[in-house]
Amino acid sequence: MAERETTVGPEEGIHGRPAAQFIKAAKRFSSQVVIIKGGREVNAKSVLKITGLARKGEKITIRAEGEDAEQAVETLAQLISADEH
Amino acid sequence: MKLTGIAASEGVAVGPAFVPASGRPEAERYRITQDEVEPELQRFKKAAEAVAGKLAETGEELRVSGHEEEAGIFEFHVEMAEDPELASAVEERIGNLESPEAAVLAVGEEYAAELAAMDEYMAARADDVRDVAGQISARLMGKGFSGLETLETPSIVLARSLAPSDTARIKEGIALGFVTAEGSRTSHVSIMARSMGIPAVVGVGAALEGALGAEEVALDGSEGYAIVDPGEDTVAQFQKKSAALIEERAVLEEYRHVEASTGEGRRIEVAANLGSASEAEDALEWGAEGVGLFRTEFLFMQRDDLPSEDEQYEAYSAVARAFGEKPVIIRTLDVGGDKDLPGVDQASEQNPFLGWRGIRMSLDTPELFGPQLRAILRAAAHGHLKVMFPMVADVGELEAAKAMLQECLGELESEGKRVGEVEIGVMIETPAAAICAAGLAKESDFFSIGTNDLVQYTLAADRGHERLRRLQNADHPAVLALIQQTCEAANAAGIPVGVCGEAAGEPEMIPKLIRLGVTELSMGAPSIPRAKKVVSEL
Repeated sequence: MAERETTVGPEEGIHGRPAAQFIKAAKRFSSQVVIIKGGREVNAKSVLKITGLARKGEKITIRAEGEDAEQAVETLAQLISADEH
Repeated sequence: MKLTGIAASEGVAVGPAFVPASGRPEAERYRITQDEVEPELQRFKKAAEAVAGKLAETGEELRVSGHEEEAGIFEFHVEMAEDPELASAVEERIGNLESPEAAVLAVGEEYAAELAAMDEYMAARADDVRDVAGQISARLMGKGFSGLETLETPSIVLARSLAPSDTARIKEGIALGFVTAEGSRTSHVSIMARSMGIPAVVGVGAALEGALGAEEVALDGSEGYAIVDPGEDTVAQFQKKSAALIEERAVLEEYRHVEASTGEGRRIEVAANLGSASEAEDALEWGAEGVGLFRTEFLFMQRDDLPSEDEQYEAYSAVARAFGEKPVIIRTLDVGGDKDLPGVDQASEQNPFLGWRGIRMSLDTPELFGPQLRAILRAAAHGHLKVMFPMVADVGELEAAKAMLQECLGELESEGKRVGEVEIGVMIETPAAAICAAGLAKESDFFSIGTNDLVQYTLAADRGHERLRRLQNADHPAVLALIQQTCEAANAAGIPVGVCGEAAGEPEMIPKLIRLGVTELSMGAPSIPRAKKVVSEL
């Protein structure tokens, strides 16, 4: 299992194109990935679940379980903290 | 009855009117039997896949035609149609003997309600969810809730507005044109119409209400009007216009990839003006022989910080690679007080077009100019790049810019970075530059005349002023005299002159520009075939 805390980068939070790009990246990993925010845990491969989950500047935790967990957490944390998509 | 609006996409069409129904679909049945569970699960899966596939296809078409932002909406919709949580919620309901068409609407509504409760940004996303769920449901019922999906007769679509998902639902070749009450040239429906190559008139306003019962519509997207229930004469007239247009397009098609020369054998290079690297492929398809103006402003807009040297390097390399050996002229940043730049202290100005902009700003802010020049020099290793400075008014500015470029080159070399050679040019857009062209020519490898600004500055007429149309024209003796002076100076120094303003694509201006000595024309890519034809017929 791998886990990382990160800060949401995009101006409007997680939705629209940044959300779609995050999902696309998440689906490339075989690991199960979840985003944890304020005690709520959601499937990181579901655009409906992650949309609106957090705003710019808010902290979220990405947790992955599986063969490529380390890589998944690293890639996704970096993607969601970037402010340009 | 005549509807007048904005000419949003050129062309003419005559055909039956179609008005899509508004509102949400309603499930035809709600319950299924235990035996039906397995096949209905399969049916749901297939319908969701089909909807996602269609959305992805539309998104890709938009991306290829350079509409990144519009494509982004579809990317989001595709992910929703493929959403694993949506699928499992629907499957659970089907397991409980709910019909898939009812289940997907119910689940969509649950998610939409959640999003709508958040804030206004998310409320718009709620409509996206309802929309995608509605599409899957409609697909399951084998019909469309607006009727657009099942429309079989080629028709002209009349609607208050048309959303991305509406236009995406229409089968290929079925929409002959669009007429909408709302919208502008940059609305989704206008962009779609242009990429589909069909005419559109948008923003006709409340008058549309009176036309919703129409049977037939004649549409002129070049002039911006539609005739509702036209008489025989009008139909005949429109058919004639349409035939002439189709013929013209077919003729122009032959000119796309020719290398245009005049009757005297003077070779004229026809290039494209680009606003971002994503437009490169489209421009090549239109037959661009290079890029006469690559605007770099897009990299700097709509963000909180300045783009890094590496980010700029990627963008410039992308366009350099796309064009290979063909030349690409990169214009350094040209913004002024009318647009905010992050991290640059710009006072608001009374006359931004006469203010601190272009090369003036660049020379004063090395932290802005340096990384841009370095990025251009590095990207030049991947293709044939040239650099051009905007708003130059005297030789001193050009010398200072060249010194800065030289300094960047020295830095990069001592850092061991790979660089390429770049030619250096001046954008001739101030009357001062045209008048001092002889001096500038000695220090330059090429000139490019920016006619839009040259006209504005020479005739002292604001480019955007509606009442000054008469003075927004390059075909004015004063402007032509400056172009001539520029060409003579360039000719004496043995350097080429291009034109990258709107005049370069205007059939009536092209012969005049060439006669004055211009050897390269750069324009919006769709105008390229016509310009090549005009040149070839000289």
